[in-house]
Amino acid sequence: MAVAVTDVGAGRRVSARHFVRLKLRVMGNSFRGQGWRIGSFVLGAVGGFWLATVGFSLFAIPGLAGDDEYAMLLAALGGGLVVLGWLLLPLIFFGVDETLDPARFALLPLPRRTLVTGLFAAALVSVPAVAVLLASTGLILTAGIFGGWTAALTQAVGVLAGLLLCVAAARAVTSAFATMLRSRRVRDLAAVLLAGAAALIAPVQLAAAAALQDADWDRLAAVATVVGWTPFGAPWTIGIEVAQGRLWAAPVKLLITALTVVALLAWWSRSLESAMVGVTGTGGAAARPKVTGTAVTQLFPRLLGWLPRGRFGALVAREARYWWRDARRRAHLITLAVVGLFVPALFNLGGGSPETPSPVLVSLTMLFVGVLAAATLANQFGFDGSAYAAHVVVGVPGAVELRARMAAFSLYLLPLVLVISGVLALLLGRPWWIGLTAGSLLATFGAGLAANTLLSVLGAYSLPETSNPFAMNSGAGVARGFLGILSMLATAAAVTPMVVAAALLGDVWLWLALPVGAAYGLGAALLGAYLAGDVLDRRQPELLAAIAPRR
Amino acid sequence: MTAEHPALTLRGLVKRFDTKMAVAGVDLTVPAGSFYGLLGPNGAGKTTTLSMAVGLLRPDAGGAWVLGHDVWADPVRAKQLLGVMPDGLRLFDRLRGAELLAYHGLLRGMNPAVVNQRAAELLDVLALADAGRTLVVDYSAGMKKKIGLACALLHGPRLLVLDEPFEAVDPVSAALIRDILRRYVAGGGTVVFSSHVMEVVERLCSHVAILADGAIKRVGTLDEVRGERPLEEVFVTVVGGRTATGEELAWLSR
Repeated sequence: MAVAVTDVGAGRRVSARHFVRLKLRVMGNSFRGQGWRIGSFVLGAVGGFWLATVGFSLFAIPGLAGDDEYAMLLAALGGGLVVLGWLLLPLIFFGVDETLDPARFALLPLPRRTLVTGLFAAALVSVPAVAVLLASTGLILTAGIFGGWTAALTQAVGVLAGLLLCVAAARAVTSAFATMLRSRRVRDLAAVLLAGAAALIAPVQLAAAAALQDADWDRLAAVATVVGWTPFGAPWTIGIEVAQGRLWAAPVKLLITALTVVALLAWWSRSLESAMVGVTGTGGAAARPKVTGTAVTQLFPRLLGWLPRGRFGALVAREARYWWRDARRRAHLITLAVVGLFVPALFNLGGGSPETPSPVLVSLTMLFVGVLAAATLANQFGFDGSAYAAHVVVGVPGAVELRARMAAFSLYLLPLVLVISGVLALLLGRPWWIGLTAGSLLATFGAGLAANTLLSVLGAYSLPETSNPFAMNSGAGVARGFLGILSMLATAAAVTPMVVAAALLGDVWLWLALPVGAAYGLGAALLGAYLAGDVLDRRQPELLAAIAPRR
Repeated sequence: MTAEHPALTLRGLVKRFDTKMAVAGVDLTVPAGSFYGLLGPNGAGKTTTLSMAVGLLRPDAGGAWVLGHDVWADPVRAKQLLGVMPDGLRLFDRLRGAELLAYHGLLRGMNPAVVNQRAAELLDVLALADAGRTLVVDYSAGMKKKIGLACALLHGPRLLVLDEPFEAVDPVSAALIRDILRRYVAGGGTVVFSSHVMEVVERLCSHVAILADGAIKRVGTLDEVRGERPLEEVFVTVVGGRTATGEELAWLSR
């Protein structure tokens, strides 16, 4: 050992090369005798290569087509998306490749600077980094076609700088969030953000398709120029700038990139220490405000203080807390809010001409939202899992339980209904239609609650006990999906009178829809709770067996 | 009330899962005021039996009576007299400790003032008051057992049914739970609990039943069951475990 120590002292410096070799060795060793690992690595490599090919063609299109106008646009926006992806994807999917876990170096006498550069170099050796490099050679091609060798060479430097930027961004951000990601609350939050992002995909696609139809390329080009001057777009547009004759822009943009990379590495270096010592259990345990109030006042959220202090009130309070505190339920709520706002808006504004909105179409889209909202409860007992045993032990009356669950869900949904119907009426340019939109939505929601409550008692199934809101148990999915569709159809059938009335009654209906719809929905929900409650009373243990995960 | 009735009576309980007979006809009489240990190896059917006794699992045949009230025919009355701490089932763990207790109390239809007072006392005695704003899901295993016990005790039941109350509990918490249970029995309550830890059963119980392969093999007071031998020896003999002869695994001591 003494020899080794003097060796290091004698000046055999540890360099980035060692880290890269270490990473390759660790990767190689982890494949030994692990067929599935090699398989998944190959799959990842193939996937990365495929994405790289797609990216390459996108970046190369302007050059191959000889269309100088869109070159800047694609380089700035495409490159910006790549950086954004490196920034966000590791956060959402909880991690970056940690073949070389910084914590492993905690005991080694390494200067921070060596460690950071070494880990950074090792991080560059990865499939995604190679994929980005391959894809962005398309930019070099484009720059070369327009500006000859000088432009191509400048762009090559830019691409390398861009890659450094991507990797540095991913490392710095994940390291900074590592401490937080270890706490359950933040992971819950991240999962919910992911749910929001996933829910946004469909509307964004629709919006993008709509935008492409009457594309305003000039405005987009202006945006691209601005993005090109931010760190997101700067490295990717250097060659294009040279090709278009703005030689002065190249060093400036390169400087922007270099400064960003240095700043990111400095940030990473600072947060690396906490990642190295593997901070555990400091998820905000300190400085928590002291609990105040009695047990019962703590149970009831402040906004719900008016609830009766009894069985029904306790159930509503607990459910209301759960819709917020349980990541799975919260993800459902957020998805619902996003879809509920966008789908009606797109349908009523995008499809037909907004000049003559049709009451029937409006009612139909509201019906869709109502059915979707109520379907959230189709497996409401599955959310609870084996915790439902507490209700069985106490023997909670079924009707009370179901009414409370409906009420708690409605606490979140009714404001949303109001917002959705109000926004839609405003978007249609007919604020007085809010009666129609809200009435249709309330009627559907109420009928849907009834149908899905019955379904939730009869067709409950267990969900895996993880924090991932998208985790599902496979198996028997088809039958369940069929049951769900059946209940949706039943809901839709139950509220056809509302649509028919909208078609037949004309203007009178605009005023009648709200009171009639609200009464219809309330009546249907109460009837559903009464009927399903009776069923629940008789099969509480069977329901528990259905929703408790097999161990 | 029902002083002449046993605290818990099980008659001919049977439960079959698919092809496996989990409980094959269990009869048990738990006298009021006793501290009853249900012993058995893993997979003997302890949890299944207790689940059927408290109304969590519908038996294929047989019945259960709590102080004379049929658990399956008159569940309301029986469940009022009963406090249950299941094992391996979740609590409503996205609540804080105090919230969970308030929830259980109000579900039982208790007066909010009484709930507040008892919840504060239970949290204090079980050393859970410091947990404050921590959600139950973030509690340690021992804390979860303790808050589960508090939920079962809150409404002042006459019979406590506990499934593996000492599993995964540290010695300090275990001593606390033992102490509370002893006081509960001394105050006239009845405890039935399952375990496979002989030492705990021997130290606490007045009565013991040994369950194996879904049937009761031995039953009676602690002294009747163990006779002159240590309980562990009786248990291993009854369950049919083997004792080492010294011949097998000789290569271990090479």
